[in-house]
Amino acid sequence: MPDTNAVPQVAIELKMVSADSAGYKVFRDVNVAFPRGRFSVVLGATGSGKSALLKLAAGLMVPSGGIVEYLGRDMSRFTRKDEADFRAHSGFVFQDAALWADTNILNNVAMPLRVHRPWMSQSEIAESVRLALKRIGYDEGMGYRPSDLSAGEQKMVSIARAIVHDPDLIFMDDPGSSLDEDGLERLYELLGELGEAGKTVIVVANNSEFAYRFADMLGVIKNETVVAFGGYDETLSRASVELEGSLARLKARGGRSRKPRYPDSPAGDPGSEMSQRGDV
Amino acid sequence: MNILVLLGRSAREKSSRLLYGLGFLQNVIKETLRFFRKSQVGYKVLIMQILFTGYEALTINAIMAVSIGAAINVIGTSLLPQFGQSQLMYTILIIVITRELGPLLTAFVITARSGTAIATQLGTMVVSHEIEAYLSVGLNPISYLVVPRFIGVVVSMLVLTVYFNLFGLLGSFIVVQVFNPTPISEYLGNLLSQLAVGDVLWGLLKAFVFGVVVSVVSTYQGFSVNKASTEIPVAGIRAVGQSFILIIVADVIITLMQYA
Repeated sequence: MPDTNAVPQVAIELKMVSADSAGYKVFRDVNVAFPRGRFSVVLGATGSGKSALLKLAAGLMVPSGGIVEYLGRDMSRFTRKDEADFRAHSGFVFQDAALWADTNILNNVAMPLRVHRPWMSQSEIAESVRLALKRIGYDEGMGYRPSDLSAGEQKMVSIARAIVHDPDLIFMDDPGSSLDEDGLERLYELLGELGEAGKTVIVVANNSEFAYRFADMLGVIKNETVVAFGGYDETLSRASVELEGSLARLKARGGRSRKPRYPDSPAGDPGSEMSQRGDV
Repeated sequence: MNILVLLGRSAREKSSRLLYGLGFLQNVIKETLRFFRKSQVGYKVLIMQILFTGYEALTINAIMAVSIGAAINVIGTSLLPQFGQSQLMYTILIIVITRELGPLLTAFVITARSGTAIATQLGTMVVSHEIEAYLSVGLNPISYLVVPRFIGVVVSMLVLTVYFNLFGLLGSFIVVQVFNPTPISEYLGNLLSQLAVGDVLWGLLKAFVFGVVVSVVSTYQGFSVNKASTEIPVAGIRAVGQSFILIIVADVIITLMQYA
């Protein structure tokens, strides 16, 4: 009998999801399940629809067909309370930071706390914001407006905003873009910490480094759909047809040295159970 | 055949937009009713909106009101005696300023200042993904961004209309002092004797409706921006154009109701 406790619970699942944008088909019939407590990375070329996939998964974009589920519940049927609960337990890093231009860094990062933890005092909020910014390596003042910062610093603030309320589920859209080497190192440290803490992290990127370093689950977007999704090794070994670009580079780098985080899963690969949901 | 197809498609799109707009209005009203019932992070937005739409427009509104009041008085004192109707001066003053020009011109000022500002600001926020960022942290954009602007514009509209009425009558008083010096007590006495509560209430009803029109149209147009920054000025222009048209239509309807 397999140990059912080892089977990853699905955090977000897209079932036959299609999406349109400005009259154009972005996706068609996407099936993908992001397991809970795991680090999923979806790779794809520029303009392949990675951001749209992430927004669909995060409920920021309404699908034109199919359903998106969070812990097995259809997100389109969320009540106001369900929605608030989902947002209280999730954070989203936008590709272009998407900070609120009319207020300062403190208020930008503090917003999730003000919304979801209204009982916190101003000093507690300021301290939490400071710690979140420190984790990602932002060391400028909190009184600046976003327009006073470089693109890399804005990205750091955006990441801090997504983690300040310690969410269980974190969506990241190309989190390394605009960051310099030091910033990237801090980001890798942060992602490592999030992984160790058992957070569900879903990253879309066109940089294979994230997948190589962190991916428990690996997916590929191509031709308006997710053509492969499964455990890291499984995706690399089985998706031979898709071996181009980032995926080919990952394959060329060979096996990873880090220990499997999920020894209960066959071969330490959490994708074994999940891959049936994809088209690998 | 092609023309029929085009006409049909255009009619369908317009109907769809109208229904969407009505749905938007319904959503705004629903969220407005909830606004004061819960702990809100939107109060700051509301205060800022009242400051911008109401307080910062006081000067331009006062200048316009004094000028219009003076102009009406000059025209009235020139024309009415020719028909032997000098006693109608105060009645005309009250009716024209409180029932018609007060709310109408105030609405035009608010549309030109705040309507464009709201539409372009929200449009910019859509393009820079700030609206999605609000959604991602659990803030409903209608509740957090639209409702404070809606309440702020409506409240400002009501206050500025009263302000316009007062300054319009002040402008008229200034002209009276130049051509026919009259004690202020006598001027006010004549004025108040002609003033009915209904005059003020109908004027305020118009102000309320115009405030609803400007705020809803402007926020709707702001959110109608899709992706490109070039859509932002278009949203501003549409907000002004549609607001003007709807304000005039509403003005005619309320005036018909008033005199029916």
